Amino acid sequence: MKASYSWLKQLVPQIADSRALGDRFTSAGVEVEGAHEFGKGIETCVLAWVVSVRPHPTKSGLRLVTVDPGGEVVCGAPNVPEPGGVVVLAPLGTYLPAKNMTIGRRDIGGVVSEGMLCSEAELGLSDDSSGILVLPNGFAEPGTRLVDAIPETRDTILEIGLTANRPDCLGHIGLAREAAALMGLAWKRPAPEVPVRTIAQKTADAVKITIEAKDRCAHYAGSLVDGVTVGPSPLGVRYRLSALGVRSISNAVDVTNVVMLEYAHPLHAFDLDKVRGGVIVVRLARLGEKLVTLDGVERTLVADDLVIADGEGPIALAGVMGGASTEISASTKRVLLECATFDPRSVRRTARRQGLHSESSHRFERGIDHGDTRECILHASAMTARLCGGSVASEIAWAQGDEAKPVTVTLRDSACERVLGVAVPVAESTAILERLGLEKTSGTTFTVPPHRPDITREIDLVEEIVRVRGMETVGARLPAVHPTRPVGGREALLRRVRQTAVSLGLSEALTFGFTSKKMLEALKLPGSVELANPLTEELTVMRTSLLPGLFEAISRARRHGESDVAMFTTGVVFMKGADLPEERPMLAVAIAGARPSYLTKPEPVDVWDASGLAVQLVSRLTGLGCELVVGESHVAYLHPRGLASLLVDKRQVVGHMGPVHPDVIDALDLGGELMIVELDLDALARLGQRTTRYSPIPRFPASARDVALLIKEGVPAGLVLTAIREAAGPLAEDVRIFDRFTGSPVPAGHASLAFRVVYRSADRTLTDAEIDQSHAKVVAEVAARFNAVQRA
Amino acid sequence: MSDPHASILASLDSLAGSYAARFESAQTEQTLRDENAKVLGKKGELTAILKEMGKVPAEARKSIGERVNTLKGEVEKAFEARLKAILRACREAELNAPPFDLTLPGRPPSRRGHPHPISIVRDEIVGIFESMGFAVFDGPEIDTPANNFDKLGFPPDHPATDMHDTFYTKAGHVLRTHTSNIQVRAMSTMKPPFAFIAPGACYRVDSDITHSPMFHQIEAFMVAEHVTLAHLKGVLAEFAERFYGTGTPIRLRPSFFPFTEPSAEVDVGCVFCKRADGTRAGCAVCKQSGWLEILGSGMIDPVVFTQCGIDPEKWSGFALGMGLERQAMLRYGVPEIRFLFENDPRFLAQF
Repeated sequence: MKASYSWLKQLVPQIADSRALGDRFTSAGVEVEGAHEFGKGIETCVLAWVVSVRPHPTKSGLRLVTVDPGGEVVCGAPNVPEPGGVVVLAPLGTYLPAKNMTIGRRDIGGVVSEGMLCSEAELGLSDDSSGILVLPNGFAEPGTRLVDAIPETRDTILEIGLTANRPDCLGHIGLAREAAALMGLAWKRPAPEVPVRTIAQKTADAVKITIEAKDRCAHYAGSLVDGVTVGPSPLGVRYRLSALGVRSISNAVDVTNVVMLEYAHPLHAFDLDKVRGGVIVVRLARLGEKLVTLDGVERTLVADDLVIADGEGPIALAGVMGGASTEISASTKRVLLECATFDPRSVRRTARRQGLHSESSHRFERGIDHGDTRECILHASAMTARLCGGSVASEIAWAQGDEAKPVTVTLRDSACERVLGVAVPVAESTAILERLGLEKTSGTTFTVPPHRPDITREIDLVEEIVRVRGMETVGARLPAVHPTRPVGGREALLRRVRQTAVSLGLSEALTFGFTSKKMLEALKLPGSVELANPLTEELTVMRTSLLPGLFEAISRARRHGESDVAMFTTGVVFMKGADLPEERPMLAVAIAGARPSYLTKPEPVDVWDASGLAVQLVSRLTGLGCELVVGESHVAYLHPRGLASLLVDKRQVVGHMGPVHPDVIDALDLGGELMIVELDLDALARLGQRTTRYSPIPRFPASARDVALLIKEGVPAGLVLTAIREAAGPLAEDVRIFDRFTGSPVPAGHASLAFRVVYRSADRTLTDAEIDQSHAKVVAEVAARFNAVQRA
Repeated sequence: MSDPHASILASLDSLAGSYAARFESAQTEQTLRDENAKVLGKKGELTAILKEMGKVPAEARKSIGERVNTLKGEVEKAFEARLKAILRACREAELNAPPFDLTLPGRPPSRRGHPHPISIVRDEIVGIFESMGFAVFDGPEIDTPANNFDKLGFPPDHPATDMHDTFYTKAGHVLRTHTSNIQVRAMSTMKPPFAFIAPGACYRVDSDITHSPMFHQIEAFMVAEHVTLAHLKGVLAEFAERFYGTGTPIRLRPSFFPFTEPSAEVDVGCVFCKRADGTRAGCAVCKQSGWLEILGSGMIDPVVFTQCGIDPEKWSGFALGMGLERQAMLRYGVPEIRFLFENDPRFLAQF
């Protein structure tokens, strides 16, 4: 909402300056988001009378205009008036912010111009740059400053960000009342303008108004202004509207906008001669009825739409927009003004259905002042007669619907202290509420004025009181917080998962909850939850895996030349549930590109990077052992050769890992191999976290023995390792593989596997002989079992 | 044949006269040890000389023996001295060699992982509220319209819902537009008193320079007897102090949310243009105001209590909620919200 400071000052003469007013408004919840100067820089521009006009000696299209005051200026405008015409001169040195230019002494084709004749656009008064601004002859004495001749050319405009509960502040009267209440100033509502001419005819004689949908329209007032001449509005009106961001249409239409900006109550003007049958009916539309609105769009209506109809059909969408057929035009002679109260919810539904958000619907949706209808329409009628000529009918026409009852609210003496923690003296709270327009009807009961539809309960009064007193009048006090147990436990789990993943060298990505069907199909994943109103045609389903988001991140990174990626994301996936979808927390990891290296040739990550990561993740998160199980599960989007599920503590599968299937990489254009790990965090959480138990530090020395075995390729190393461990028995503290190679001198079809076995006893020092003997036995046993040869 | 006695003595003299120079000429530990072995070793020169001892008369052996022992001591001493000198020289040489090329990049301890900036502020904020006694309440991202809107007092067909352009599922559920569905869930299922914090992803049909269709909120709420606006201010002041730094002032501006009344937008003193004396100079971030808008808050509206089956005459409470994206953007100076969701490795590696 744009507000004119000059207008407000007119309504509340003692009002503070615009800056202080803005601060006070903001501190009370009427947020002033900014302010700008309308007509800034034009203070030095003056009205000048044209003395003579002659063509420019060398430049065709330009003319030399002698003006008083000013002298000779060069002008290229097509509309320079005859001598005696009044124009606006920007003298030398004037800075015009609208065009960011300073008028300097310039030589134009051999003639020095003594200033510039300005268009409205150059003055920043409107976007009209079709010609210079020409005022009616004799508008003011030559040399009069423009801002003195038309005060509306200069204003401070406040940009107000209103919350949805304050429709009263969508007009200047409401803002003025609010300002006066906040600043403790006297406030008197302005009386409606008195018509300059009236006729004996009553509006009801010219048009018969009835309300059929009485629950949607509390009342409907019509007022006839007969004998108007439709044309442009006076400049003052045009600039006031322009400053407030409203385009001037014509005098008759501008009246409705000015009054709306004043009272926050939208009005409409019909060309009464185009209203068929001399009747106005407020009724629900019939399904399929058509109406061409003022914006030229043909709209098909439904039975929930409230319309204004004449004898033959709809002529306006009530509270939203008028119809084209009864639009005010240059030939309009009889104007029928409408001012009514329509049901906010009805207006909102229609506006949303039609995708038609107008200044009018904006106000009706929020609730207009249903008590000012009569005043509003009288004011608008008088103004119409003043601006357009014509005479106002002696009486307005009034149709009655279901009127809202006045609202009364009780404020208990203890209410403020109970909510705010600070007591407010009754005298003070009463004074605040009365300044806002509430009326104390008994000891503790207040009647709420119709311009405040947001006030219906005691708490609303408390809010008003603290709002006006200021939030700073409430001190800060830390509460005693009742100890509470977490519910769900997911946040702590996710935090631990994120920290663990980061500690393992992974960077966290944030991924969207929705994805495309195409993506899920490429991964052969089920869909579950579909969106009814997706953001784009692509992103229509909720994810059933975290991978789509990760894949997108990796594709994007690769497109940016970042090929080394180690990323993870956490979040829920959405599976079909009984009623609401089941939301399952997951972790997904993707690694791709080169393993970190130092001054050596980088090597690509492989499946063992993924398995190492997976096992570390799981064992750090659970404190339990995690092993890879191969061949027991099928995951369509993983490479069949490298896919393994992750089994914890030999009892619970918590996820899987492996390289992404090359077909998926191709289908999604992922730009190269990548490894993934996926963990089901609920499954992980069910395992709990094993608490580490202290184990004694060995007191006796350990001895290591190595063994290298030539073994048939295809025998899993892990199997051999397990066999060694079993054969070595309890004396073997640790068995690990430290080398594997194939190729010469290892015979074809074989691999050399080298293991180190660490022997230690908890209660004595083992002798070399004892260890050698034991180790030899282990080697022999394992070699025999795998048909392997020990390498020297 | 000469006198063996004299011959041995002459050999010993010769050895005594030569070893020092030989030791001195050794430049490395190894050559010194070799030289020493040549003199004193099992197959060394001294042993060779002493092989002749058998030919020496017994009475002369003793003096030769003493002579040999003295010589041995001298040699050993000289060896030790020279060895020390050589080692020192080596150490000096090592110390004086050209410096290491520290312009080569340092070797990273391992690959470094980076938490997302949203997670950093999320964990920090959750931690602050947990330390004040609030517990986390998890809730679903897809919920019923009742939990997301109706029970929170959103009037039907009211413009208040304009702020929430809502995603609906085909089953008629909503992707929650805020974390306030948790309030409803807590109040509908638990008996006060309680104090919860609810972080999580939210969704709105909105995507531009300042909006992401998915974003994160964190909401704290407390319901107990006699909870007042003063308590809300106390908690907000404490939060500002801990999250934005000691001495950060707060300012409440009345506002409107359907589920709180009174409602307030909360500003904190701008952390970017703070002067040493605690005043604010005004800067581009705070638009010269000295204040940063950070969250919305208010006293839980009685209608919410009633909808959730809690007696508003007995219980009262407050709620406050903030966008994590804004907190992260402010703290780290991230200019556009989309950077938070593009997951560019070059972006993530900054945190």
